Amino acid sequence: MTNFNRRQVLMAAAAATAAASLPKLALAQTREETLRFVHGSVWTALTAGDLTGSRASLALSCNVYDRLVSYGRKQAPGGGWEFDFATLEPELCESFTLSEDGLTITFKLDPAAVWHDGSPVTAQDVKWSLDRAVSAETMSKSQLASGSISSPEQIEIVDETTVTVTLPEADRLALPNLAMYLAPMINSELAKSHATEADPWAVEWLRTNAAGSGAYKVERMSPDGAQVVLARNEDWTGGPLPGFKRVIVQSVPEASTRASLLQKGDADLCLDFSPTDLEVLEAADGVKVIQTPQPSGFAALIFNTQMAPFDDPKLRKAISMALPYDKIFETAANGQGAKLYDGAWEGEPETGAFPQPMPYAQDIEAAKAMVEEAGHAGITVPLYYTVAKAGDFDPAAALIQEALAKIGITVEIQKTPDAQYAEIVTAKTAPMLLERSLALLPSPDYFFRIFLNGDSRWNFSSWNNAEVAEILPVARYEADEAAYDTMTRRLVQLAYEETPMVMLWKPTTKAAMAEGIEGYTMWYHFGPDFRTLDNA
Amino acid sequence: MSGAPGRSSAQAGARPRSPALTAAVGIGARLLSALPALFGVLALTFILMRVLPGDPASFFVSSPTAGEAELEIVRQRMGLDHPLPMQFLYYLQDLATGDLGTAMTTGRPVTDDLIERLPASLELTLAGLLLAVVIAVPAGVLAAMRPGSAFDHAVRVVCSAGVSLPTFVSGLLLIYVFYYWLGWAPDPTGRLDVFAFPPETVTGFLLIDCLLAGDWATWWSSLGRLVLPACTMALFTIAPLARITRGSMLAVLTSDFVRTAEAVGLPRWKVVVTYALRNALIPVVTVSGTIFSTMLGANVLVEKVFSWPGVGRYALDALMASDYAPVQGFVLLMATIFVGVNLVVDLTYALIDPRVSLS
Repeated sequence: MTNFNRRQVLMAAAAATAAASLPKLALAQTREETLRFVHGSVWTALTAGDLTGSRASLALSCNVYDRLVSYGRKQAPGGGWEFDFATLEPELCESFTLSEDGLTITFKLDPAAVWHDGSPVTAQDVKWSLDRAVSAETMSKSQLASGSISSPEQIEIVDETTVTVTLPEADRLALPNLAMYLAPMINSELAKSHATEADPWAVEWLRTNAAGSGAYKVERMSPDGAQVVLARNEDWTGGPLPGFKRVIVQSVPEASTRASLLQKGDADLCLDFSPTDLEVLEAADGVKVIQTPQPSGFAALIFNTQMAPFDDPKLRKAISMALPYDKIFETAANGQGAKLYDGAWEGEPETGAFPQPMPYAQDIEAAKAMVEEAGHAGITVPLYYTVAKAGDFDPAAALIQEALAKIGITVEIQKTPDAQYAEIVTAKTAPMLLERSLALLPSPDYFFRIFLNGDSRWNFSSWNNAEVAEILPVARYEADEAAYDTMTRRLVQLAYEETPMVMLWKPTTKAAMAEGIEGYTMWYHFGPDFRTLDNA
Repeated sequence: MSGAPGRSSAQAGARPRSPALTAAVGIGARLLSALPALFGVLALTFILMRVLPGDPASFFVSSPTAGEAELEIVRQRMGLDHPLPMQFLYYLQDLATGDLGTAMTTGRPVTDDLIERLPASLELTLAGLLLAVVIAVPAGVLAAMRPGSAFDHAVRVVCSAGVSLPTFVSGLLLIYVFYYWLGWAPDPTGRLDVFAFPPETVTGFLLIDCLLAGDWATWWSSLGRLVLPACTMALFTIAPLARITRGSMLAVLTSDFVRTAEAVGLPRWKVVVTYALRNALIPVVTVSGTIFSTMLGANVLVEKVFSWPGVGRYALDALMASDYAPVQGFVLLMATIFVGVNLVVDLTYALIDPRVSLS
């Protein structure tokens, strides 16, 4: 006797599943016009800015909502497109102008623009949306404030189709901030009808309902956000009509399952797959992978400059001389992206762009001597990173541990669960971190403001340099490019001299998609933009 | 008290209480006695969640420009600005009105989330268990009838393989073979094809709801999507069930009454099925009950691999985010189900073995 029971059950199972896939054939026609996007997260908040929405929600909301303006895009190395921070184009508005003194932005509305429910977009809607952004308890408030828009009084209705935003100072980031997902334009009449006394800005209602004018309407959404079906908005005025009539945004938590779906042609686009699946997908038929370096992204070894032993800049410098940069880049980043070391400059950098390659070079002997001279030989320090980024940082941490052992420093690797890691970073109790992040806007002064100044959790190194603190508020309002460049070059120089973090590499955004899909664009949010995609 | 419920009609006249009432009182007493245990589980989870490292507020507020103000808003919304004992009292107060709190990860009441996701887990677990029982019990019986035979060894090998393969490995393996390689199975993305329209929710069990709606195409589709995850779960549970059945049958088959039955010339199948198997089933039922409760909570890996929208995955995601309310709700739900399953197991004993009674 053999295990006939088992075999029969498997045969029956196979027959049943084969039959189950039959109804799909009938839908083949619509499949052509449908884009199926799979991701590991869930889309929990339809309107950007919700404090408890998933991170993926932010980028996804761009497909449903319009902003007044948007960034342009340009061809990127790697075969795709990337956003162009230097150019701004009208999106919901018809045109916009910035006054000579840089203090007044005037938006002219498009009379043809309508909300998803068909009602026209009015100046009142625009004012309400911006008022909401600066008043309601959402993430928008602090983002717009970083561009000097912080009060409803700054937003004025001039006439039926004109709205102005007045700035207290000529802030370089005021307009770029309005092009970001945290400044969505909302159908105010619809939203107000769902506002309550406790929730005057309808934050609750807008979490699970969309009231926008964007290229796609939300057709269906499962309550947990695991499945959202979008339908093309045929009346969209914000740009050329998207190529796909329908988009399915589906949560598939297992990375290898996402890769199989792409390989089988059941999914069309995926942005979060594991490094091990990368090679498989690159080799697979019918799938292409586009890698685009992130303009303001970085992976770095970060020191807590307010805490022993790394309050000593000599020790930080010594470590920057001990790291095996090439090996880290080859193994942790798979040689993809861009090097943030091997910089050719000495003394003063050639440009003020940041992150940029820093002139670090490995010199173990000198580093060892420096550690001994500063009296740190024989110390033990923990190195923290989050489980979520372990794919990159496991190899990087091992290499750093090995290298620092050579200069007399013992590294204890602390791979930490996400929520616990978030707590440690907020409380700033870790002496050393491996972190990978990006500034949303690739503007050097913005980068320093977020990551290398102030007391927010994003100043991972808690670096507190008087000269940086002096330059930043001036640079932010500097309209003259040459003067701005001088300031940012000084910032880069200071970051090199004091080494609050050792820059390792600039990560790439990886996008895997069906061979025929064209128009993939890497945006500042690194999420999917279905509006620019089409089937060749 | 002797006499199983429903079997003691002869005694009904002699006793003041009807057997149905006796059984009801017995069940009621059992449920009441479970309350302290439930409370203990609740208090323990509550404290454990708060003692564990991880600040939920800083996890949720992750915008680059967010500061202390935003953190404070989220803390208030989660009720974390009160001292711990007060938080617990508020929680109990809400619980008394059936309110399990709000999940930060989904922004919805935990009760709604659980009600929606529990049928998905139940459907998968029941299908897996049913499949396992249908395979394991006959296999165990046959193995016990011919101990040491080729079939016995084959069952042992299959059981060892099944139990030593972690569910996510066997799950991924099944996906690779039946979806990726052979292309027989539908894509492993949840309970329903993305292009299919779900039937109106009545029970939450897709197979039943489709039948109620008379939608055969969707019924087929959802059955097809159930097969691979159910097989994955069955693979893991066949082993304990088959081993228990075999062991129990071996003991019963060598007992006196079986020898007597054989001696009086009863047909072999009647001896095995009617006399031996019925007596051997008690430990199998016990184990099935335990396995069911364990599988329901522990099938999170299967749920993850197959994108199944069940309670296990929900609780794990919430745990990773230090989202307290869903984890507490989940533990309470599991404890309640465990109590319920144990009760059902005891009732089943009474059906199988007249000597067992509830009280």
